[in-house]
Amino acid sequence: MNVEAGKKALRFQFAPIVDKLGYKFNPAEEDVEFLLEAEVTFQRQYGIPYCPCQARTRDRAENMKIVCPCIPFHREHYDAMKRCWCGLFVHKDVTDPSALKQIPPSKFVKRKE
Amino acid sequence: MKKIKIYALSTCLWCKRTKKFFEDRKISFEAVDYDKADEAEQERIMAEMRGKGGGGSFPYVCIGEEVVQGYDPDEFERLLGCGKK
Repeated sequence: MNVEAGKKALRFQFAPIVDKLGYKFNPAEEDVEFLLEAEVTFQRQYGIPYCPCQARTRDRAENMKIVCPCIPFHREHYDAMKRCWCGLFVHKDVTDPSALKQIPPSKFVKRKE
Repeated sequence: MKKIKIYALSTCLWCKRTKKFFEDRKISFEAVDYDKADEAEQERIMAEMRGKGGGGSFPYVCIGEEVVQGYDPDEFERLLGCGKK
């Protein structure tokens, strides 16, 4: 499968999942293309579309928490940002994704306390 | 000038934007791509990030003694003491 077909397959696979979680693909199409291309590469290398902006380690259980779409594992954090960490997905009500900021996980924990 | 160090992933869109932020302002920085580093270096980076309260989310930017996790131009500018470009 070539990269374009891989990206199309991931879009098809992810769209109904994130829809049920209250998210949609980021309207910034160029960003989505970049991120999906990275995920297609991971899928080819490891068989798994990991998040392009979070690190894999030797801890398999932790790695499973960054398999795209990783929203269920970071629900409160991502809901607070109205986007996932890499920005592939945003809340359904978002029209201007450029206004959304990444909140570091450590600062999010502090906000919760 | 404060020393700037960026831990990044070569696949990360926000890491690329972070590097571009500093390049556009002609501010020199040291950057390490975690995913291109060897295993020992990866473990060292992750230990450093976790030691400062960060997880495995990139980019991770050290500006002097301060740390910014994520792409946050406003915070970069505040810590650098420079205005918007």
